[in-house]
Amino acid sequence: MWRYVLRRLCYLLPIFIGISFFVFFMLHMTPGDPARLMLGDAATETSVQELRQEMGLNDPFLMQYGRYIKNAVRGDIGKSYITKSPVAHEVLQAFPATLRLALFAISIAILIGVPLGILSAIHQYSLLDNVAMGFALIGISMPVFWLGLLLILLFCVWLGWFPASGFDTFRQMVLPAVTLSTPSLAIISRISRSSMLEVVRQDYICMARAKGQVEWRVIWNHALGNALIPIVTIVGLQFGGLLEGAVVTEAVFAVPGIGSLLVEAIKTRDYPMVLGGVLFIGVVFSLVNLVVDILYAYIDPRIKARYQNG
Amino acid sequence: MFKRMCLMFVVLLLAVGCAFAQGDTLTVVMAADSKSLDPHAAPDLSSTSVMTQMMESLVTIDSGGNIVPLLAESFEKLDDLRYKFVLRKGVRFHNGEELTAEDVKYTFTRAVRTGKVIDYVVRNIDIEHIEILDDYTIIVPSLTPDSSFLACLSHYCAGVVLNQKAVDAAGERVGMQPVGTGPYKFVSWQKGNRVVLERFEDYWGDKAKTPNLVFRTITEGTNRCIELETGGADIVQSLLPVDVNRVVDNPKLTLLRLPAPVVMYLGMNVSNEPLSDIRVRRAITLVVDNRPIVKIAFRGVGLPARGPVPPTIKYYDPTLPEILPDVEKAKALMAEAGYKEGLKMELWCRDEKTYIDTATIIQNQLKQIGIDLSIQVMEWGAFLEKLKQREQQLYLQAWNSVIADPDYSLFGVFHSSQKLTGLNRGVYGNPEVDKLLEEGKRVSDGPEREAVYHRLQHMIADDVAWGFLHVNELLIGMSENVRGFLFDPSGNHKYYQVYFDQAK
Repeated sequence: MWRYVLRRLCYLLPIFIGISFFVFFMLHMTPGDPARLMLGDAATETSVQELRQEMGLNDPFLMQYGRYIKNAVRGDIGKSYITKSPVAHEVLQAFPATLRLALFAISIAILIGVPLGILSAIHQYSLLDNVAMGFALIGISMPVFWLGLLLILLFCVWLGWFPASGFDTFRQMVLPAVTLSTPSLAIISRISRSSMLEVVRQDYICMARAKGQVEWRVIWNHALGNALIPIVTIVGLQFGGLLEGAVVTEAVFAVPGIGSLLVEAIKTRDYPMVLGGVLFIGVVFSLVNLVVDILYAYIDPRIKARYQNG
Repeated sequence: MFKRMCLMFVVLLLAVGCAFAQGDTLTVVMAADSKSLDPHAAPDLSSTSVMTQMMESLVTIDSGGNIVPLLAESFEKLDDLRYKFVLRKGVRFHNGEELTAEDVKYTFTRAVRTGKVIDYVVRNIDIEHIEILDDYTIIVPSLTPDSSFLACLSHYCAGVVLNQKAVDAAGERVGMQPVGTGPYKFVSWQKGNRVVLERFEDYWGDKAKTPNLVFRTITEGTNRCIELETGGADIVQSLLPVDVNRVVDNPKLTLLRLPAPVVMYLGMNVSNEPLSDIRVRRAITLVVDNRPIVKIAFRGVGLPARGPVPPTIKYYDPTLPEILPDVEKAKALMAEAGYKEGLKMELWCRDEKTYIDTATIIQNQLKQIGIDLSIQVMEWGAFLEKLKQREQQLYLQAWNSVIADPDYSLFGVFHSSQKLTGLNRGVYGNPEVDKLLEEGKRVSDGPEREAVYHRLQHMIADDVAWGFLHVNELLIGMSENVRGFLFDPSGNHKYYQVYFDQAK
C-alpha cells in the first residue's frame, strides 16, 4: 500500500514538469507584454524595453524556462510581477477561501445528492424520481453565474436573508456554496441513481430480500457498499474541480480565492503568478485523485488485495 | 462513518469567522483589489485610493486646480529649474519618526531609481542635485524647465513622502506594510477581500472623523450596487452606468456624478493612406456623431468631448466648437479625396462592452459615407501589443490625465518626438504644434501659458488628429447618511472628513 502511495507521489514530478512547460509555452504564445501591462498605457516604449531587459523577458524561451525550473527546484517559484510579493505566499493566502468554499459546496452536494439519488433509484419512475431527476437536469444545465445572480436577487435584495458578497462570515458563505454545489449535486445524484439501479437488480439483493432482511438494511448494507465506487469517483472529480477555484462563482460573490487570483494574473500577464497558481492546482488535483484511489481500497477489498500485491 | 462525516461538516460550518462590527466603521467598495501599497510600485486607482488615506505629498491640488501646500508649509520657484520647499514642523510618520528634509530626499531618490511604473511622473526630478538647507528646508530641482513639475510632485502616489526607516524595516514586504504621514494608518490587508485602516491619533492636521476605514473589493459591478442597497457598503467608488437609476430611485441612497479627466477618442493613424489625407479624417469626424455614443454606449453617463483636454484640467478651452454631423459635406470631402466609391477600413478596440458598443455605432455612422468598417476586438494586453507596431488605422482609446496639467494631457500623445516609441499612436506630427507644446512646458502658469494651450487645442482640433468622443464621469454611490465626502477628479477621494449623520 505505502509503496503504491510513494510511487504515485513520484508521478507528481513529470506532471509538474509537463504542466509548467505547457503553461509557460502558452503564456509566451499569448499576445500581450507583461512589461507593458505592468507599466501601463502611459509608459513610453523605451521604459518598457528597459524593463523587459531587466526582467529577462528578451531572453530566448528555453532559457527563461530553464531559469524558472532551476529556481523552482530550489523551492523558489518566483515573485509576482505586479504585487512583487512571493507567488507561494499569495497562492497560499488565497487557498483557504477556495478550500472552505469547495468543502462547503461538496458537503451540500453529497448530503443532498447521494440520498436523493438512492431514493430515486429505489422508487424508480415514481413521482419523486421524476421530480428529482428533472431538477438534476436543470441543475446541470443552468449556468452558475446566472443561478448566483438569481439567488442574490431573491435572498439578498428581496428577502434580505444573506449578504450579497464577501466571504468572512458563515452567512456570507451560504449563497456561494449553494450556487457552486448545484451542478455537482445534480451530477452526484444522477450517478448515485444509476449506480444504485445497477446494483439493486443483482441476484444477491434479491437473495437478501428473500431471506427476509428489512428493506433499509438491504439498501444500506448490501446495495450501497457495492454502488459506492462510481459515486466516490465522481465526488473526487467534482471536489478536485471545485478546488481549482470556481472562477465564476468567486467573481459573482467576491470570494478572494484561487480563481479570482488566476483570472487577475492572466489579465496582467503575471507569468510567475499564473504558473504558480496552475502548478498548485495541478498538485492539489493529483493529490485528491490519489486520496480517491486509496479510498477505493477501503470500499472494495478486491482492489486492496491488488495494491498489496503490486 | 456517517456520524463522523456529519460531525466534521458541523465543525466546518462553525469554524468560519465571526461577524464584522459596524458603527464606527466606514466601508468603501472598490472594483479591484489594491496591487501593492508601495507608492512607487502601483499607480493604479485601486491601489492609490487606499494609499491616499495614509500618505501625503509636499503639495497638492485644490478643487480649483491650483497647487497648494500640504506637507510643505510653503514653496517657491527659485529659477527655471529649482523649487524650494519649507516643511511643516512636527509632522509624524505612523512609525513615530518625525518628517524631515532627509525623508523627502530619500523618497524622491527611491522613486527615480526604483519606480519603473511611475517613471512618467518622476523622471524629470534631478535627484543628483537635491539640496538640503536644514532639517525643514529643501531644494528640489528639475532636469529641464517644466511648468508641470509641481503638478508632478503633487501626484497622488509618485509625490508622497516616505520614511527610510519604515521602508528598510519592511524590507521585501514594503508593499504590504505602508507607512506614511496621513490621517489613517494601516492595520491589515487580506488580499482580494479587504484592506483595514484606523485613525492615526498623532496626525498633524484635523484628525479623521470616523475611527475605522475599510476598503472592500467586489469585482462584479452589479454586486457593488446590491451591496450598497443592502447596507453592506457605505460608499461605492465605481458604479456601473446600468445601475444609475436604481441608486437614484432609492431614497436611502445618493448618487454623485463627477467629471473625470478621461477623454475617449477615435484614434487615426495618419502615417498611412487613406488617413494621411486630412479630408478623409475630417469627413469621418463629420459623420461620427458623439451624442448617440454618450447616450447609448455610455447610457447617458459622461459628456460629448470637444477637444483633447478634459474639462477638469486647467486651461481647458470652453470655446472649442461642437462638431455637428454634416453628411453632405463629408460626402463631398470623400469625393474630393478620391474615395467617391467608398473604401474599407479597420477599427481596433479593446474587449470592453462600452468600447464595442461605441465601435458598432461608429461602424453604422461611417456607412453613410461609404466606409465599410470592420471591427477587431482585442483583449487589453493584446491590443496594446498590436498598437506598438503602428499598423492600426482607426482605434478606440482613452487618455487619462493622471497628472493634472494640460502638458500631460497633450505632450505625450501629440508631440512628434513620441511618434515611434511614445504614446503618439496616431503618428501625428505638426512642427507648429511641437513648438507650442515645448513652449507650454517652459512658460510659467498664467495668462501666457493659458493662451498657448488654448491655441494648441484649436490647432489639434483643426488638424483632426483625433475624433473626440466622450469625457468620462465618475459614478459614486453612497448611503444617504454619509457626510463630508471630499471629491477628487483623479478618483482618489479623501475619506478622512467623512462621518455618519446619526440623526438619519
